[in-house]
Amino acid sequence: MSKRIIIVLLGLTILFLPVSLFAITAQEIVREMDAQATFETSYATGSIKTVDRFGTKESTFKAWSRGTTDSLIEFTSIAERGQKILRTKGSLYLFYPDAEELIRMQGAALRQSVLGSDLSYEDMTEEKTTLDDYDVTLDGSETVRGRDCHILILTAKTRQVAYPVQKIWVDKETFLTWKGEYATNHGRLLKKMEVLDTLVIDGRTLPKETRIEDAMKSNSATWMMLDTLEVNIPLESNLFTLENLTW
Amino acid sequence: MVKKSLFLSLLLSIALTLSAAENPVVEMQLLNTTSYTPATEQWSQTMAPAMSLSISSGRSGNVQGEVVLKTPNVNLLTTAPAPAIYDDILHKAYFKARFPSFRLTAGKTRLSWGDGMLFNAGDVLYGSNDTSVTLTQAELRSETGLLVSLNYPLGFFSFAEVTVLPSPDNQIEHMGGGARIYTTVQDTKVEAGYLTSYESERLHKPYISLQGNIGPDWYLSSSVAIPQRGDIGEETLDSLVITGGLYHIQYLKNLSLRLEFLTRPAGNWKAESQSDDDCPLLLYQELVYTPSSSLSWSLRTIISVMDLSLNATLGVNWAVLEGFSLLGFLSSPFGEENDLFSWKGKVPSPYGPTDARIALTLGASWIF
Repeated sequence: MSKRIIIVLLGLTILFLPVSLFAITAQEIVREMDAQATFETSYATGSIKTVDRFGTKESTFKAWSRGTTDSLIEFTSIAERGQKILRTKGSLYLFYPDAEELIRMQGAALRQSVLGSDLSYEDMTEEKTTLDDYDVTLDGSETVRGRDCHILILTAKTRQVAYPVQKIWVDKETFLTWKGEYATNHGRLLKKMEVLDTLVIDGRTLPKETRIEDAMKSNSATWMMLDTLEVNIPLESNLFTLENLTW
Repeated sequence: MVKKSLFLSLLLSIALTLSAAENPVVEMQLLNTTSYTPATEQWSQTMAPAMSLSISSGRSGNVQGEVVLKTPNVNLLTTAPAPAIYDDILHKAYFKARFPSFRLTAGKTRLSWGDGMLFNAGDVLYGSNDTSVTLTQAELRSETGLLVSLNYPLGFFSFAEVTVLPSPDNQIEHMGGGARIYTTVQDTKVEAGYLTSYESERLHKPYISLQGNIGPDWYLSSSVAIPQRGDIGEETLDSLVITGGLYHIQYLKNLSLRLEFLTRPAGNWKAESQSDDDCPLLLYQELVYTPSSSLSWSLRTIISVMDLSLNATLGVNWAVLEGFSLLGFLSSPFGEENDLFSWKGKVPSPYGPTDARIALTLGASWIF
């Protein structure tokens, strides 16, 4: 009898062992999410379209990135032509060619709107090192756009981030963040994001069209669209430097 | 006659350049101003069209250049000599060439030394220590000048820059020049430089400018102008200027504030009417409210603390269509007759002191 119980218990243990051993943790999801969105190098062209009750504004850009922290964006639309944003670890530089002016931004300044859109500098040049800045917990599952997603709650470890609390929906298969809600410590919603269309590059699913809504602006939304994306391409070694930014 | 032929030749050059231009950018403004001048008790109305044309080469490759032509300010047309008008029209004309280890810039352009939107003691090239600005313009300081500069990278986020300025009166001994170093120490940007130039006498201007973050971003700059002759000690002390500010201060996401100050320790610290040259303490605030992506309200104010006078401009910018914006400004000085900003006297402007007035400006701008 006791042998039978032991065998049953062993059987149950073996049956549930894979679940307990191989259940993915919130940290692993975030790590994989960052890894999927990070390339050795990338080059993209695209546009930012902002619509509010007063009208539509569209700006086009070229963007380069390297690894988890370096990115460079150059606006190509007429009104902003030549304006550049350089993001490196911890710092962000703006270059305005008309005034030949180089401006360094840090901290809360990264939350400022880019060209009056619902996107902030942080949104556009986000570092892919989420676990350095956030504690993360799993908050269940939900289907978004027909995809089974993990729900994650990210709570900031420092005050040097744009969004103290993030709730994100991460695809269980592709680790794409389909949806995000970004809020203050007190739970006041700051921004909402949703991926509307995707593309597959190098076997990874990435956002092609994203809708961003700034909760502080009424009747306003911004669409960020990628027209082209090339990854793991050779880039000039001085691309992410002040010398190139001011060129 | 000279002015007419000058204008015609410039129009011709614009037309010729346009045919060869790759992607010119035109910015047009049409502003209608209705104003009341308390000193003369007169109402007036003016409509001022303005245009700028920017023709630039592509941004790829190792050589690039740009020509920017602007319609001259109407105040200059009636008072200034032809060379000054020509200088105002030809806003920029320069090329940049990138060599393996350095970069060369030559022509008429702007170098932005130091920090600060209105007050910048580090701007020893053009001077940003006065209140002679137009608060209705997006860029408060946009002066350009002829120069040759070499920019030498000292790492990814540091560089040294050397510049040579031509003589203002063709005398070789009146040439100017200077250099600066731009680097980052810990989390603070450190910039230090020196310029020598001839402005009725030879002046030597060292400066330092720091920038960092304490929640909002901050900056602090200081410079002196040391004469070559005379009472060097006293004149140097008199010229000491310190500027600083806090910016990117954000409230409720769509309300931002910028604060700047300028102080002259050796200025006239008496609670009496002040002048722009030795005013000991000036403040500048810019409050911007952006309720939507295409609409913004701004309030810009320069305050002279010792005589409690101020110059304020309330502005609205509504980007109605792609590249097309409607603009509105309400400006007025507030102060007693001889104060820096006087209701009934003169107020500083980029083209010399002008009669104080309360002005309502409405118009539109289009960039294409």
